[in-house]
Amino acid sequence: MGNSVMGDLSSQLRVAWHRVQDWAYPDQIDHEMYRAYMKTPHDVGGEPDAPALFEDKEEEQWELNTFVTCEVLGWRGIWTSEERRRIGNVDLGRTNYLGLPYYGRWLWAIARVLVEKRHITLGELIERVDEVRERWADDPGRAIDAAPRATGDTEAVARNRHHLEAAGKGDPQCFAGTAGTPGFAVGDTVSVRDLPTIFYTRTQEYLRGASGTVAKVSYESLAPEDEAFDREDQGSEWFYIVRFRMADLWEAYTGPANDTLQAEISERWLRAAA
Amino acid sequence: MAETHRDGSGHDTHQHAGTAPMVEEVTDFEVLEIALRELAIEKGLFTAEDHRRYTEHVEQLEPAAGSRFVAKAWLDPDFRRLALSDAIAASREMGIDWLHPTGFGTPSDFTAFEVLEDTPTLHHVIVCTLCSCYPRPILGMSPEWYRTPNYRRRIVRWPRQVLAEFGLYLSEDVEVRVEDSNSKHRFMVLPVRPDGTEGWTEEQLAEIVTRDCLIGVALPRPGVTSNAIRPRHPAIRPVTGD
Repeated sequence: MGNSVMGDLSSQLRVAWHRVQDWAYPDQIDHEMYRAYMKTPHDVGGEPDAPALFEDKEEEQWELNTFVTCEVLGWRGIWTSEERRRIGNVDLGRTNYLGLPYYGRWLWAIARVLVEKRHITLGELIERVDEVRERWADDPGRAIDAAPRATGDTEAVARNRHHLEAAGKGDPQCFAGTAGTPGFAVGDTVSVRDLPTIFYTRTQEYLRGASGTVAKVSYESLAPEDEAFDREDQGSEWFYIVRFRMADLWEAYTGPANDTLQAEISERWLRAAA
Repeated sequence: MAETHRDGSGHDTHQHAGTAPMVEEVTDFEVLEIALRELAIEKGLFTAEDHRRYTEHVEQLEPAAGSRFVAKAWLDPDFRRLALSDAIAASREMGIDWLHPTGFGTPSDFTAFEVLEDTPTLHHVIVCTLCSCYPRPILGMSPEWYRTPNYRRRIVRWPRQVLAEFGLYLSEDVEVRVEDSNSKHRFMVLPVRPDGTEGWTEEQLAEIVTRDCLIGVALPRPGVTSNAIRPRHPAIRPVTGD
């Protein structure tokens, strides 16, 4: 197991404190506890963990198929990859985020988006899953692959504007010239706002409140908070690669003082540092 | 319950032969994947041909493209300048079009690519702490360890310790710069050309630029032409070429 402590069970035995009472009373959740509950489970940078054996993995056929289906749904304007990341990396909750296989979450996201965007009903999905399972119960030697009963009318499907507007340009190039003048320039000192986390962001918790230097004015794009919710009606903004000193990010950083880290952050999250 | 005609053949396929050979059970993931793909095609969200074409695109991706890119940058100063100023254009010069296969790029990789130039006093290493962002058009699919919460948690906070676990020990006069690939840019490391490679051809140089070097968890060395050997978790039903 790549994430275990080298299979050493003793080191994994530890005292755990569980609340006996589910659903704490409101006065039992202070700001820090609330922040912990609301933290998006995909934002793991800086969490303590033990050294592990870094492993490779052979890919399952269903994993490749799942990846391709996700990408084709993006290609054909059913979603953007940011919607996929929000659904499959955050919406499903911390327990499933850390428990399911990597592509098991991608698959979960496909199911979720097709139902939520009304392309299929949940009833259809439940019946189809049951039927597919019985196919192999009935005929175990059957090749494991999809057998669509029909080819649907591709013209009748609601799709996003993005897959058309980005054609021939690319993404983020399709947003070029839409965000006005950048608020910051290379060399500016900026700080990362400590905004509350609600549902989704790509500004990591470990950067909140830290000051750094703009290393590159990147591109214009919709912010992840909008793109993840299919808000094509919203305006774009500038993104910046910001360079931080490790010693400014982590208490008691033990490496040399000139070690650095860079991340790419949208303008709404930055302020000119005092 | 109606159990017939499930396969569209017109034959009753409902048999529970007690003598059927034992086979691996079809997993929940396989069942759900098939159900969703069938429904998506039947509803017209995409076609089976779309799925097949995209699969072909994915299957021809490999890190060798990144290795050639670096070898060319080591040998050709004009290409190196282009690689550092416009890595998308440099990729195109090598036959890699980031707009493929959709006309606007791969949905998850975008079309913003940046090459991170190492120097004798600066070493880059790449991570995506939020998911597993990776430059698939030039490096193919990311390795399993790159996706793990463990690597993502630790490399941004204890980079030298984690690099040491990969066998890469950096002295204190080398600045470690971690690139958290958290938005639309994708990154690849351009390592320093190692001593002992004088007079080598592009092909010879490309051989020592392993995928791990391009992520920044290893350095190219004469005589080392593959990633470190790691345990490989096997698949139940691995990807098979048609």
